Amino acid sequence: MASIYVRSVAGLLAAGALLMGAAGASAAERVKIEWWYAISGKLGETVQQLISDFNKSQDKYEVVGTFKGNYEETMAAMVAAYRVNQQPAILQSAERGFMTMLKSGAIIPADELMAKQGYKIDWSDFVKPVAGFYIVNGKPAALPFNSSTPILWYNADALKAAGFGAPADTWQGLEKQLYALKEKKVTDCPMALPGDFQWSLIENYSAINDQPFGTKANGYGGLDTEFVYNKTSVVGQVARLKKWIDDGVLKIAGQGVAPISLYTSGTCASIINSTASHSAVEADAKFKWSAAVMPHEEGVQPKNSTIGGAALWAIKGKPEEVQAGVAAFFNYVAQPTVQEWWSKATGYVPVTNAAYAKMKQDGYFKNHPTREIAIEQLSRGEPTDNSRGFRFGNHNQATAILLEEMQAVWTGKKAPQEALDSSVKRGNEILRQYEKLHAGK
Amino acid sequence: MPASDAMRLNVGAAARPRFPLRLKLGSLVSSSETGLKSSHFRRPWLAAGLLAPQLLILLFFFFIPTWKALSLAFVQVDPFGATMIFVGLDNFTTLFSSPEYRDSAVLTLWFTTVQCFVTLFVAGLFAFATDQVMRGRAIYKGVILLPYAIAPAISGVLWAFLFNPTVGPLAQMLHELGYAWDPNRRPSDALLLVSVAAIWKHVCYDYIFLVAAFLAVPASVIEAGAIDGAGPVRRFLTITLPMAAPTIFFLIVMNFVYGLFETFGIIDVITHGGPAGSTNTLVYKVYQDGFRQLDLGSSAAQSVVLMAIAVLFTVLQFRAVERKVNYQV
Repeated sequence: MASIYVRSVAGLLAAGALLMGAAGASAAERVKIEWWYAISGKLGETVQQLISDFNKSQDKYEVVGTFKGNYEETMAAMVAAYRVNQQPAILQSAERGFMTMLKSGAIIPADELMAKQGYKIDWSDFVKPVAGFYIVNGKPAALPFNSSTPILWYNADALKAAGFGAPADTWQGLEKQLYALKEKKVTDCPMALPGDFQWSLIENYSAINDQPFGTKANGYGGLDTEFVYNKTSVVGQVARLKKWIDDGVLKIAGQGVAPISLYTSGTCASIINSTASHSAVEADAKFKWSAAVMPHEEGVQPKNSTIGGAALWAIKGKPEEVQAGVAAFFNYVAQPTVQEWWSKATGYVPVTNAAYAKMKQDGYFKNHPTREIAIEQLSRGEPTDNSRGFRFGNHNQATAILLEEMQAVWTGKKAPQEALDSSVKRGNEILRQYEKLHAGK
Repeated sequence: MPASDAMRLNVGAAARPRFPLRLKLGSLVSSSETGLKSSHFRRPWLAAGLLAPQLLILLFFFFIPTWKALSLAFVQVDPFGATMIFVGLDNFTTLFSSPEYRDSAVLTLWFTTVQCFVTLFVAGLFAFATDQVMRGRAIYKGVILLPYAIAPAISGVLWAFLFNPTVGPLAQMLHELGYAWDPNRRPSDALLLVSVAAIWKHVCYDYIFLVAAFLAVPASVIEAGAIDGAGPVRRFLTITLPMAAPTIFFLIVMNFVYGLFETFGIIDVITHGGPAGSTNTLVYKVYQDGFRQLDLGSSAAQSVVLMAIAVLFTVLQFRAVERKVNYQV
């Protein structure tokens, strides 16, 4: 009896050893490339699809993608991991973290990596607004991946019920329409406040209306930049938003509910949100939805908006073979066909001219007119120092402060000017701290 | 030590059976001569070996992190650790001169105190009622204990959703009652929501201890009270409550620790510390500044302050309250 048990256990152990050996062998054939990304939901599924497509396209490398929470959480995870040498090979980091990553000393610039691994990427083919942000001194520091910009989403049925064909171009006109929606009892929630409203309603508002957000061309001109958005028409913008909130025209989603779902569920008639919401809206919205460019101030010639989204960074401290794999993956992602597929699947803008031209040629935008709004808005006019983008060190930190001060306005604790003054003062302290730590880099 | 106590100890030691593993335990007689306790290890390495797991845990999860926090509190560092500048007490002076930090400290004090005593009061009420419940006592207990089984993140999401001013059913009910409930815009509502959620989560913990403490009160004493004509409330207030004082004292300490440190998950899910920092307790601020904003120097300084506060609170409580608590039954 006992011998049977012994033999069966031994057999199991042997089988296990064989299995593990086999798994080890197949893993040894492929080099594992770790990638931490920060987008979830439908976009996350698309990322996994991209990874599996890449893994099938070749047999040398295996990209392993891990969702590490939102952009801030992913960045925090990266920082913690880097300090104990457990960092991934690739990190998806938001535009807000650009300066922090650029001067972190933890990255390999994308062009350097690609050149070293023998790949040729036509960096000049990236669409202007994307290149203008990610290319520093003619060299791209990271591979532009998912680029977006905020657009105005609206419920065409609701607008029609209030007697409007399309949303107004200006904030003043939009205000009348939103109030009409409420007064005519078409909806109790004419507009939802997005979670990242500082990006759309303050930063992009500044860019579109050609207002400076900081000195030194919004940080492009050096680390000694200072925030100045408390002296521009942002003050009026914040006062307007506060008025809308008080009058129940603009609703704060709050915790437990994603603002975009207030729009897709039909609860709120409009929202200014990223063009990447296309995948969610197309799947969930059960009404006649549409989108338009963001409004601008009356009497202002609107400029381009700025990009959001993220780029892929190659992280230092990985063996040569892993770096080769990172380059192979970057090369794959930058291909026009992949770009086109990614843009169609997600709603992010195509980041290369080749992909954009191809989509245009195929008549994709004729059938999906809202897909072109973002890229048109991004490329509108000639960018000025105020609209090129934002390069502030530790911008995550300054953003959190701005959000907190804005909440003080919504709650009535502070007047718009007072809150913006305080936000600028605290934000400048962060810029000075960053400058002190990175002087001479 | 009073003589009677020493006597009782002696009796206890003599009556104790031999230690089954035959460890060489010192006898009571020799202990007074050698200055060692009545039971001790002759070979120190065995004692050290048995202590080692605990000490290692302390080392890795307490002393090393404490050391890290202390060392980071006096520097400014970029998140990736490439540059580090020693700034002396700058992190602390910035902290204490920041109105946001002072607001957070006041809020934490208020929140922790209210949470502590309300939790205790509600749990006491439930525990008192347990004795009066005759039928379905198990169900009664089960229902009260349920919240403890739910993870803070899950319960937080539920609270946040139920009271979401735009879509939450309970918020709609409040609106219909004419109360302009909106935790996104009214700091008092946000604070109320977080407090109620925190209390709801912790009542069951206090309840378990209080029920046990009330049960431990000798029935004879209570019956004597009843014969003397004291009603249930009077018996509870004058007999049960004083006899449960050690437990209550313990619970006050535990509630403070809970309020100070463990409400983090609930706050993170329900309000993110907002609006405008109105529910941003000291612990949550450490997390926000350190892990969301990557300002490690300030975050470390804050955790040092927090550690000092925790130590101070505990010492104060023990000194102030313990003297008035009678541990003898």
